[in-house]
Formats: sequence, structure tokens, C-alpha cells
Amino acid sequence: MSVLGADFRRDLEIRRYPLLVYALVPLAALVLQAWLPRVLGRYAWFDLPLVITVYFALGRRSPIQGTIMGAAMGLFEDALSNHAIGVNGIAKTVVGFLAASVGVRIDVENHTIRLILNFLLSLLSSAIFVFIYRILLGLDLEWSWITELLKAVGNSIIALVLFPLLDRLQIRD
Amino acid sequence: MLLVILVAQIVGLAVQVRRTDAGRVTLDPQDGPGVRLIRLWADALVTPPERLMHSSKLGFGSLWQDYLDLRHVRQQNQDLEKTIDRLRLEQAELLEDAHQGQRLQALMGFQEKYIYKTLAAQAIGSSGSDQSRVFYLDKGAADGLERDMAVITADGIVGKVRDVFPHTAQVLAINDQTSGAGVILETTRIRGILRGNAAGQPQIVGIMADQRIQPGEKVLTAGGDQIFPRGLPVGVVEKVVRDPDRDSFIDVIVKPAAHLDRLDEVLVITSALPRFSPEQQQDMATSDALKGAEAATIKEQQKASELMAERLPGLTDPNAPPAPAAQPGATPPAPGQEQAAPATPPAPKLMHTQHPDRFSPGTAPEALPEATDEVKPKPRQGAKSPQNKEGLAPGVTSKQTAKPRRTP
Repeated sequence: MSVLGADFRRDLEIRRYPLLVYALVPLAALVLQAWLPRVLGRYAWFDLPLVITVYFALGRRSPIQGTIMGAAMGLFEDALSNHAIGVNGIAKTVVGFLAASVGVRIDVENHTIRLILNFLLSLLSSAIFVFIYRILLGLDLEWSWITELLKAVGNSIIALVLFPLLDRLQIRD
Repeated sequence: MLLVILVAQIVGLAVQVRRTDAGRVTLDPQDGPGVRLIRLWADALVTPPERLMHSSKLGFGSLWQDYLDLRHVRQQNQDLEKTIDRLRLEQAELLEDAHQGQRLQALMGFQEKYIYKTLAAQAIGSSGSDQSRVFYLDKGAADGLERDMAVITADGIVGKVRDVFPHTAQVLAINDQTSGAGVILETTRIRGILRGNAAGQPQIVGIMADQRIQPGEKVLTAGGDQIFPRGLPVGVVEKVVRDPDRDSFIDVIVKPAAHLDRLDEVLVITSALPRFSPEQQQDMATSDALKGAEAATIKEQQKASELMAERLPGLTDPNAPPAPAAQPGATPPAPGQEQAAPATPPAPKLMHTQHPDRFSPGTAPEALPEATDEVKPKPRQGAKSPQNKEGLAPGVTSKQTAKPRRTP
């Protein structure tokens, strides 16, 4: 893992995408996340909005943009569920911020790093979700860590396939 | 920036929860205007593409089901052929029964089995979260859907309408942790509340441990929740586990009758009132009128019998012991107990005997002379007890053995 200076990496590898990609890719992630569980049933062990949040946060290398992207995706996820709006929002806000902060400092082109990052950030998102729901709000929620672990693995695998595809959409000089 | 967004969301969360009188924190079941607006935006953004994907039939689902997910198809095909052969034999036997059933059906004029008004809808999307078992229908307020309407399939219940948008509706499935449906076990008649667990399985919670509950028992709706009509199938008992929080309680895991993971078409019960045909309504009106006339007749008969009971003298038992004298401080009977308490019969008034003998009451027995061989009777084994001239027991006159007389 090569660790470089933050300013150097930011200047060197800030990725830019067409505006349509910023609009359509998150929307596609939200739609697929809402639609695929109907097809796959209980085997839908993934969180596409989280994967997309991590991808754009890593690619843009801007904590502010990562934070906003995470908040927007999380709030939309909450709005589609029967949860209080903001639970996923906070979790993905933190994830977006951390992913962008990490992306400034490490080489995110490496597949292993992407895999590990997605796995850890997925677990972190689940942990924040449980913390907010059970500790902060004091609501009842049964929890299965096995499912969250499988979801983290699923996110990592999807990221491994999806990130190179999304890399093709960036604007190259 | 991070702090601003986080604080804003935490404040937003605080607005949505409230504390109940019992001190528990809970989410508002009814979304506020702001929250509802956000949900409406998300719904408006996500459901049109979902609807498009659902209707196009070119989605990943059909690709998966028709081309990829073909495991065990050959074995299934062989099994199905065997089943077809067996069903052909059964069909021949059932044909005659079917004809008879059709004749009876025509005789009874029974046209519609289901008496609730329903609306068919397609499930087009879900929440996408394991912790939120909700899905979306392609029908909304414009089609007549409202909150808390029951959603079912031909197999069993599915959930209830949680939120309604103009052209879509959000349904809370019965395997969500926040859902609740009143259910009853068919055989043991034990009632409970059905809700989901972390694994997405519906379970009946809050019932005492009972050895009678066995896997395979059918679970039906109890009808007490004002959402699901009574008697709809819910599923079967899959297993019974101990409640981790309370020792004497159990959780009954239920295998749902409806395929909650792969819902396609569902029915929404838009009216819980029974829907009857005009002929049935006329029959019911006639029945009600007849019942009313019958009830009036019964009431009149009861009134007449009460009047008769007041006028007729009561029955007395002359052999009953005499009534004790009323104590000065005795508590008077309650008003409601006056008729219920048995009246103590008065002491029998004995008539004067015309030819008293030694057995007659009031006559002192004569002193028997010293036992002599002439007058001393020898008791015989099995001989009857001494009787008077009328064949009665000693000390009893013919008047006393007569039927009890009525006293005014």
C-alpha cells in the first residue's frame, strides 16, 4: 500500500464524470436496491447505494462531496423504508466522509484495497445503523450480524466488479 | 460540513420519535408532513423506473428465472410427469363429483365465495433493506387504497397498507419487526400477535409455553386487529422456541402461507364490510324480519308465564322440617333473592283422626303388658315392619302420605 502526501494525490487523481453519471448512477443504485430484493428474495446481501457512495467518495477525493453524496443516498434509502428518516442518512454520511478522507491518502486503484475498504466501511455502516437505532433512539431492533457480514462480503464483491466498469465513465483529458 | 449535516439529521430523527405514556420510545406511526414529503419524493423518483422494469419483463428477474436458475429442472420434469399420471386417474374419479357439485351450486345459486371487496395490485418494488420488510404496490390513493387496508394473496395474508401515495402504496409485510397481526392457532385456539424477527420470519410472540403447540398446526387470523378479517390463512407452525427474554414464554416461528419473498400479484381488501348480492341482502332482510317477529312472540309468552306464576299458588312439602322462627336481627333477603330462595313450607296442619290407635300422632303409646307367649309377636326374618290398618309406616297417617297440598 503506497501512502502519499494528501495534496499530491488530490491534485494528481481527482476524477471527473459527466453530470449525467452523477445523476443516473446513484438513481440506478437506488432503483436496483429497491427492485432486486424482490427477485433474489432473502439472498439480497448487498447495499448498492453504499457501494456507489464509496466509489464516488474515493474517486472525487473530496470529503465534502463524499459527505453530501452519502447523506443523500442514505436519506433516500430511509425514505423508501419504514424507518425514521436519517438513520441510514447518518451512517452513510460518515461512510462517505471517511471514504473520501482515506481516498486522499492511499492508492485506491488497487483491487485489494478496494475490497478491504468496502468490507470495512460496510461493517461500519451497519454498526452506526444499530447504534443510532438502539442506543440513540432507544428503539427495539433485532439484529443478525451474520447477515451484515454477508452483506459486507457482497458489497466487496460487487465493488470489485462495478468499480472498473464505472471507471470507464470518467472524463479523461 | 460533516457536523452540520450530522446535527441536522439527528435533529430530524428527534422530531420523528416520541415517548409513550409507559416511558418507551417509539416511532410516530403516522408520518409528519415533512417526513411524508420526503417519502413522497423518494417514491416519485424510484417507483417509475421500477414500474417500467416490472412491466417490460426484460428485467433481471425474468433473465434469472428463465435462463439461469434452471437447477434441478430435469428432476422436476420427471416428478411432474409422474404427478400428471396420478392426477389423470384422480381426475376421472373427481369428474363425477364435480358434476354433482355443479348441480348443487346451480341449485343454491351460490355465485361468489369471497364476500369482501378486493382490488388486485402488482408488487413493483421493496425498501431494499433487510431491516425494513416493506414493498410497493402499483396502486395508490387514486385507485381507492387507504392506510391499514389488509393485503392478501390466494395463499394467505401478506401485510397491511402502511402509507398511500397518489399512484403507489407502501405495504408493511407481516414479517417486519414493527408489524402486528392478531392470529389464532387453529387446533389449540391459542391467540397471539404475529410479527417478524431479525431473520425475516413471522413469529407469534407473547404466548405462554404450551406443549400442545406442534409444528404443522395451521395459523389463522383472529380478526381482533381491525385489519385482517377473521379466519384467513397465515401459515403453519414451523417450530417453537423459547423466548430469550422471558422464561415462561415461547415464540412460535410460522412458515407463511404466502410467498413473502417473491410476491407478484396481491389483493387489497378495500372494504371489510361483507359484500352481498341483492338476493342475499333480501334473504337477510327477510331473516331479520322473521327473527324480530319470533323474538316478540317469545317475549309475550314469557310475560304471560310470569303473570301465571304470580297468580298460581306455590307448592309446599308437608314433610319438610318446620321453618325456624325469624330472628329479630335477621337480615332481610335481597330484592333479587326473594323469588330465587325456596319458600319454607309451613308446618303441616294435621287433621283429627276419627279412630286413633297407638300409632296415631298425639296418642301416648299404651304400656305393654309383660311379654307373654300369647300377645308377644315374634319378629320374623324379612317380615314387614309393623303397619297400621291402612298399610302405612308407624307414625304416619294416610293424610300425611297424601300428595302435598297447595297452600294459598
